[in-house]
Parts: sequence; structure tokens; C-alpha cells
Amino acid sequence: MTGFRLETGGRVDRGQTVQFSFDGKSYQGLAGDTLASALLANGVMLFGRSFKYHRPRGVMAAGSEEPNALISVDRGPGRFTPNLRATGVEIYPGLKAVSQNRWPSLKTDFGAINDRLGMFFPAGFYNKTFMWPRSFWDKVYEPAIRKMAGLGDAPTAEDPDHYAATYAHCDLLIVGAGPAGIDAALGYMDTNKRIILVDEQDELGGGALADPALWPWLERSHKALIDAPNVTILTRTTAFGYYHDNFIGVVQRLTDHLPELGDAPREKLLRIRAGEVVLAQGAIERPLVFDGNDTPGVMLSSAARIFANRYGVAVGKAVVLMASHDSGWHDVFALAKAGVGIAAIIDVRERVDSALMHEAERLGIAVHLNHSVMGVTGRHSVRAVQICNNDDYLGRRIDCDAVLMAGGWTPSVHLWSHSKGSLKWRDDLGAYVPDLPNENVVCVGGCSGDWDFGTGAIIDMLPTPKDQSRIKAFVDFQNDVTAKDIKLAVREGFRSIEHIKRYTTNGMATDQGKTSNLNGLQIASSALNKPVADIGLTSFRPPYTPQTFGALAGHAKGALFQPTRTTNIDSWAQAHGAVFELVAQWRRARYFPQSGEDMHAAVNRECVAVRSSVGIFDASTLGKIEVVGPDAAEFLNRMYTNPWKALEPGRCRYGLLLKEDGFITDDGVSARLAPDRFHLTTTTGGAARVLNMMEDYLQTEWPDLDVWLTSTTEQYAVIALQGPNARKLLEPLVEGIDLSAEAFPHMAIREGIICGIPTRLFRVSFTGELGFEINVPTAYGLALWQRLMAQGAQFDITPYGTEAMHVLRAEKGFIIVGQDTDGTVTPFDAGLDWAVGKKKPDFVGKRSMARPDIVAPGRKQLVGLLTDDPNVVLEEGAQIVADPKQPVPMTMIGHVTSSYWSEALGRSIALALVAGGHEMTGDTLHIPMPGKTHTAKVSGLVFYDPEGARLHV
Amino acid sequence: MSDVLIRNEPVPETQYVAAGVTISLAGPMQRYALRARRAEDLETVFQVTMPRKIGASEGGIACLGPDEWYLRTEAGATIPTASGLPVAITDISDRSICLVLEGPRAAEILMSGCPIDLDNFAIGRATRTIYETVEVIIIREAEDRFHVELWRSFAAWFWIAMTTAARH
Repeated sequence: MTGFRLETGGRVDRGQTVQFSFDGKSYQGLAGDTLASALLANGVMLFGRSFKYHRPRGVMAAGSEEPNALISVDRGPGRFTPNLRATGVEIYPGLKAVSQNRWPSLKTDFGAINDRLGMFFPAGFYNKTFMWPRSFWDKVYEPAIRKMAGLGDAPTAEDPDHYAATYAHCDLLIVGAGPAGIDAALGYMDTNKRIILVDEQDELGGGALADPALWPWLERSHKALIDAPNVTILTRTTAFGYYHDNFIGVVQRLTDHLPELGDAPREKLLRIRAGEVVLAQGAIERPLVFDGNDTPGVMLSSAARIFANRYGVAVGKAVVLMASHDSGWHDVFALAKAGVGIAAIIDVRERVDSALMHEAERLGIAVHLNHSVMGVTGRHSVRAVQICNNDDYLGRRIDCDAVLMAGGWTPSVHLWSHSKGSLKWRDDLGAYVPDLPNENVVCVGGCSGDWDFGTGAIIDMLPTPKDQSRIKAFVDFQNDVTAKDIKLAVREGFRSIEHIKRYTTNGMATDQGKTSNLNGLQIASSALNKPVADIGLTSFRPPYTPQTFGALAGHAKGALFQPTRTTNIDSWAQAHGAVFELVAQWRRARYFPQSGEDMHAAVNRECVAVRSSVGIFDASTLGKIEVVGPDAAEFLNRMYTNPWKALEPGRCRYGLLLKEDGFITDDGVSARLAPDRFHLTTTTGGAARVLNMMEDYLQTEWPDLDVWLTSTTEQYAVIALQGPNARKLLEPLVEGIDLSAEAFPHMAIREGIICGIPTRLFRVSFTGELGFEINVPTAYGLALWQRLMAQGAQFDITPYGTEAMHVLRAEKGFIIVGQDTDGTVTPFDAGLDWAVGKKKPDFVGKRSMARPDIVAPGRKQLVGLLTDDPNVVLEEGAQIVADPKQPVPMTMIGHVTSSYWSEALGRSIALALVAGGHEMTGDTLHIPMPGKTHTAKVSGLVFYDPEGARLHV
Repeated sequence: MSDVLIRNEPVPETQYVAAGVTISLAGPMQRYALRARRAEDLETVFQVTMPRKIGASEGGIACLGPDEWYLRTEAGATIPTASGLPVAITDISDRSICLVLEGPRAAEILMSGCPIDLDNFAIGRATRTIYETVEVIIIREAEDRFHVELWRSFAAWFWIAMTTAARH
């Protein structure tokens, strides 16, 4: 034996050594090793420091239940992964692992002072200690606790890896490829079911990997499954969550074990919909609770067997077993056979199966029945144990370098529990096992309590002569919860395990209490003197083991984070230096700065161009709905506030849409194309919402109406030409439409041809100028825009963005729903009385207009505001007060909703919602802003061309 | 100004080729949303048999819902728009583009973000579904060929999603 590597045995490749480092020190392992097995082979026992007391910790388990040996792997910038279980990290040449939660080093950790002060850190310590003074919460307590607590460091650099994702479907999903899972797969292999078999380890086999007698079977089975065309095998793959209707979240790790990352995705998220699920998650061995049970070198008995038989590593040269269950004896016999030195078997039971006694005797192993370990000597590794007789507490010391705990077994019911399957208590196992399913799922093998590990005694903790309030006998190793913490919680009045869990944090660590829940329950049960089944069971929640955010995000990062919708003209805007803004999911050009211009200058120039010649604007994002059918006009008449039935084909109307509560939810100009066909427009952000709302009414309230709605938002690219020269520019390009003022008045629509392409041409204006909105099939949007730019050069045509559009409409007092309204504004509040059909018997929201609070005086109403200093542009959102001398806190009577510099007027303008505003015209109001309180006079809403002379030309 | 305006498509017009799959933009076509309470009324208008089963498609017409059909035909075809019958025929030719996924990995690429079980999605079947958060219509044209119809503004995003999935 070299170091702790056994001469023979294991599934590691003895011909292939692997160099890696831990805390900067170089080590050699073998291909097939985990970081845990490779370090143990090198005699390393100390892996990390515990969460709260900073106690030295080693490896306790060999699988994903490991609570102690948490390490970080550093693969370069952005590829730092904390809190990995050393038992699940496969080594590769160049692996760089580091320990956590220690300073300045793993062996010398200043934080370990917490361990000496342990008596001051009982359960509920934080809740009790850091209550007062309140002012210390943010500045002192939280920063200090955050610095001390926690495990590995969170990565700071952006993750350069990419992650794949997919949906997958199967008739049978098998979770866990131990003997039970493999048997299930073999059993269904010859059916026509599509089978997916997942296992979190790097090879199939589960517990069989630690039992060489099963290897020939394993190899045959593996080959049969690989050859079966209907079976998909996914290793290094964790089923982390079980959701409704057999929907299972699964993550496959693709590159973490490779020395070179290449270009492949790091992990893949599989969202699996399974017809039937077989859970074969196995069982986890239970630690025993005694003083010093967290000393590096104290571990699960089954883990020692795995290290020996799977990895060819002895966990010690003189190993002691502390058992309450037969399975530990079998483990020790297997270890002895593998060449591991056994110092003694200690069993808490008075009697065990004579076959076990005979085998121990045959192997020459000393046995101490009715004894318990009462203490462990050694801080960074085990040097000896003190054992005592359970009756007279007479003790003795046994020198050893590892202690194995065999406390019985806990079925892994995590996924079963996610699926809301019920559990039942089995006294003989001292464990909960699956009872009734809630989904189409069965549990097989260890996770159903079906195992052949022998029998054992169920105990809460080992008997000890020591003062139980002075010892540290750990229950939850990851969260540093001891037996006395749980007893304290019970003494302080907690009765339900849910409360005890939260008070002590038992089972709340990243390992989800895989090794601690049942011991915690047993201790609480004893302390309360009630059966375990009477104090409840805590819930398991996804994820089964911690998963990376990257895996859960899948493709959704960078450009694929979420769709940014772009118009057909977007590329032109991009090429011409547009500054963009996001409006709903759309990317829109906000303004087009020329060299040296800031936003203010660009917007002023764009506004002036529209008012003096012609501007061009990409309005494609406006929502459009085509309403078709014999009842189209009747339908719109019921939806909108104003009358629609008499609207003639070829004419447009402004439509105001309320919700049932009488508040404005959307608006837009719509056109009647034919008696049974309307072209509606909505706001950009409201398009989907309005279509849904209309469909909802149509399908649930008025299913008798023969009318259908189709979203045509993306059927048309829309180019707005606005300004006194708009008609002159358009005239030579259009066929079949008389553009004259007489033939084509404001608020009309004509169908014809523009530049050879069919168009729906609206004469509408959101600027107060002569204007047209040209709708063409979307794919022609860019070409038409370029043609108009070329043709418009003679008029200095100027592209303008959403910011200039906002200024121009505000000058005319046109509202923007969602900016000048906030979901509590009625048509009357917004000064849109004219858009409400007084004679209409009904429309959506009409009844609410008679509600007492809607007819009451003092509602916030939309008004114009003109600052006394014309150069002051108020902040949008600024609060408004009537009297700035009133005591603080002042009564705020409203707020500014829109505010701009108007180049056309040579001064600032603003819109505001003010309580009773309509009665205040001419009054002075006060607007406190940083540095100064400004004054402004209440005005009407229309600031520019109030008589509309510029429109009707 | 006699030059005709040219179409501008939101994704590359050259085919994307990856192992086991090609992704290409289908040429322009005419598309219509057809709505009616009674399929017979549309049959009267179009003089064709409308598929009655949701998900079925026949002669370029897919039945997407109880009163909804999706008609695709070659560019330049003449389609009746007015009828006097209680039907709605709406031109949505340019609302969508169609990406053609072809090859043995086509279904796999789609399933990267589409929750439908494409193993059980027969040739000729059409359905409106989602790819991640984006609405799409998937039509299985052949064992290894799918048409994916999606709204134009999402196309640039979807192209990246498809080509990324194809590379993985």
C-alpha cells in the first residue's frame, strides 16, 4: 500500500495518473478518482471548515449527500464554482481545487474562535442576539454576519460558458441507475416504450459500483441497455425537481470533468415530460450522533466501502466501526477483505446476529457489543476514540485513524416528496417510505425501503456519560446543528418539526438534510416524548442537489436572454446612428443625433423639421387588429366609449378603450375599410393586451356576434410622414389615391398603390401637422423608407424618433396612455369627454362612470402646466403641492406626467394630474425639485395651434 | 422612380448548414387568417374542403382552432376577400416568415425550446405552439422537414436560437 491507495481493487485506471492541486499543493490521483478519493489516497483528511463554528471537517460520505467536504473549483476568470462536493468532483489533469470558509489557511483558521465560543451560539442565536438596537441591523450586524457566515465565495466575473437546454419526452423515466433502476430499465427494454435512464454519477451502477461481485452483471446490463434503441442513458445527470404532470427538471453536466473545455456547452437542462416515472434513488446511510462525530476521519461506513472497492482507497490503516445496524458489519468485512486494517467493531446493541459475530471472530476483529463511542481524539484527523459500556459507562481508549458510522438507512424520497406523494412511517426501518403516489410514479429499491442490509437499532443518539450540554454531537453537519440545539428548541417551546427546523436550521443547508433529517426527528421525538410520526415531517423542495444558475437559464443569456422585437426599418436606424429605447419588447429609435448633437439638440432639430417641412417616423410597432365580420361595427360600438356604427367606410375615428372599472386602458385611431372590416390601431405596449381583452369579451360575453379579430401588427410596416410638405412629397409616389384636402380629409383612409406596392394610407396626425401614415406589407418597409428619404431630400426630410414624437404630441395635448394615465384615470379626468358617446346605452366601463368615487369632486385631472420661468423643464414624476410653506410632510395634490422643452413655443411645457385640476386654470402650483421649488400656472392641455389650423390643410 | 421596391427579410437568405440540419428562409408566400363559425361557409367561398380536425392540414389550409384556419399559398395567388357570408378573411402574408428546418436533427433543434412531443407529431400536422416565450406555428411537412411560421419581429432572435441549438 502506497499512502492510502490499496494495492489492488477499485475501478480507477491505475495506468493513468492525474496531477491536480488542492489549496495550491500538487497531488497525484488516478483516472476515475473523485477529488475526495484522490485526496484520501494521499492521506489528506482535512477538506474544509464548517459553516458556523469553523470546525475542521473531512469527508463524511462518498456521494451527493456529502455535507462537509465542500470545495471550490477554479477554472479561470468567470469559471469559479463554489460549494462543490469533493465526492462528486471528478479529477482531471490540472484540476485546481481550493478549500472554503477559512482564513488565512485551512489548517490555521481564525474563524475557529467561534468553536471555542460555541456556548454563546445556541440555536436561535441570531434571532436572540441581533434584535437590538435596530440601527445596528444594516450597518453592523448584517455586514459582520455576512463576512463570517456562508460557505464558498460567490463568483464575481461574468460566466463565459454557454448552456444548452431542451425539452424531452419519454414513456418511462428512470431516476437512478443502481441495481433497482437498471433492473427496471432491463425489464422494460423489450417494450416499445421510450426510456430515459438518468444517474448523477459518471457511470451506471450506483451501489453496485462498490460491490465487485456485481461488476460482471453490471457490465452485461450496461451493454444491453446501450444496445437497446429505445433506451437513452444519461450519466452525470441529476433529476433535480419533480413538477406537475410528470414534468421533471434534469441537468446534465457535460464539460466539468474534462481537462479541456472546448466549445461545448457546460451543462444541458432537460425539461422532461414522462408518461411514467420510476424513482430508484436509493437510500442514504445515517450518521450516528455522538461527541466529536464531525472530526475529519469520522465517516459513513458505506462511504469507506465505496472508497475501498470503487476507488481502491483505504480511509485509514486502523479503522473502527461504530454501528447500530448490521450493514456496517458487512462493510467492515468487505474492507478487511480489501486489505484495510480494522481496529475494532463497536455496536450499541447488546446482541447481533451470530453469523456476524462468527465472521468477525474469523477475521480476528475485536468486537465490543453494548458499547458506544463517547469521544474522539484528534482535531484535524482522528487519533483515537474513547468508548464506554452503555450500562456502567466504563470506558477504554482505542487508537485508530478512522471511525465508521453505521446508523441505518434513510430512503431518498426527495423527488417522491416533490411530486406530492404521501409518506408513511416504518418503525422497523426508523424511516419514512413512499406510500400513495400523486403522479404516475413508482419507487423501487432502496428509496422504497426495500433493501437487504440487515437489521438495526433505531436510536436518537449514542449513550454517553458526559454532560450533554457541554458536548458537540452533530446532527446537521453542514449547518452546524448539534443534538443540544434541537433539545434547546424543544425546551423553548417548539413542538412541530417545521418550527424546530427553522429555529435550529436543521436540514436547511444545501444538502437538504439528506443525512440529518431523520436524526433530528428522532432527537426531537425523544425530547418531546412523542412518536416520530406525531411531530410531522418537513417538506423536500427542488433542487435535489444544488444546480448552477447557468444550467437553469439554459439558452436564455446574451442575445437570447429574451427576444428584442425589431421593425423592418430597424437596420436603417441602426446604420444612421439612432439612439434606441425599449418599448414593451420592441426596440425603437428614440432620436437620430447628428455629429456633435446631444439628445436635446437632436430632438429640437427633429421637432422643428416636422413643424417646418416634413419628418419621417417609423410607426410600425403600433398595435394593429383587423376586425372583420357582419357584426364588426356592433362589436366596436360595445368596446369603445364613442359611437362606431355610423362611421363611413374610408373614415377614421379616435377610439378610447376603458376597462370595466371605467378607467382608460388604451387608445388609438381606427379606420373603417368596408362595412364589415375595420383596421384598428392600439398603443405599442397595449397591442397584445387589447387583443386579449377583446377576444375575452367576444368569447365570453358576446359569443353571438359574428366578428373575428386578427392581429395585423406585423403585417404592415408603418411610416408616418408629418409636416406641411408631407403631401407634396407623397403625391408623385402614390397611384389611385387623390391626396387633395377635399378628396382625402384629415381622419380618412384610402387604399391604393405606393411605389408599386399596395398600401393602406391613413391621413392622421399625432403631431398636429398635416400627416399621413403609410401602411405597406412589412417586407417593403425598409425599401419604401429609403425611397421616401431619397425623394424627400428636396424638402430636407428628417427622420425623427420617439422622443420628438412625444414632444410634438404634448404640444398638442395628446395623451399617451400609461404615461399621462396610470390606470385610475377616467375619460373625464383626461379631458376626453368628447370621446364618450353620451347617447350610447352601454359600452365597456360605462356603468362604472356612475360610481360614487368617480363622480366625487377632487379627482385627479389632467391639466397643462406652464412654469413661471419658461426655461425650467420640470421633472416627470415630480410631485405638486398647493402651498410650499405647509409643514412637512406636505399634502401632495398631483404629479407631473409629461414634461418637455418645446422648441416651437420657445419654452417648457408640461402635463400633470392634479386633484381638481380642471377648476384651477390660471392658479399657481408649486413643484418641489432638488435644489428649488418651482412655480407653474395651470393651463389647458393644448399648447400649440389650439384651433387646429395646421391640420386641416 | 420606376424601380420596384425590394423585400427586406429579417434573417439571412442563405441557408444555414450544421451537422444533421439545414435552416433556410422559405420564399414569400400569401397567408390568410380564415375565420368562420361554420366551415361550410369558407368552403363555399374557397370551393375547397376545409380540414375539420384541429391540427389537421389539407391543401395548404391548416385548422388551428374550432373556428380558425391558416391558409398558405404561393405569392401572387388570387384570394377572395369579400363574400357576403359570415366569414373573416384577413391578409397576413407579411406578418410571418417561414423557416424550413430540414434534416435528421430538425426535430431535435425545435425541441430545444418547444415543449411539443415531436415523436408523436404526424406528417401533415400543424399547430400553434411556443418556442420558449415566442409563438410559432409548426407544420410537419415530412419526417425530416418542418416549417416554422413566426412573426417577423421575433425572427432575428429565433434565427439565433435555432442556429445556436444546431451548433450545440
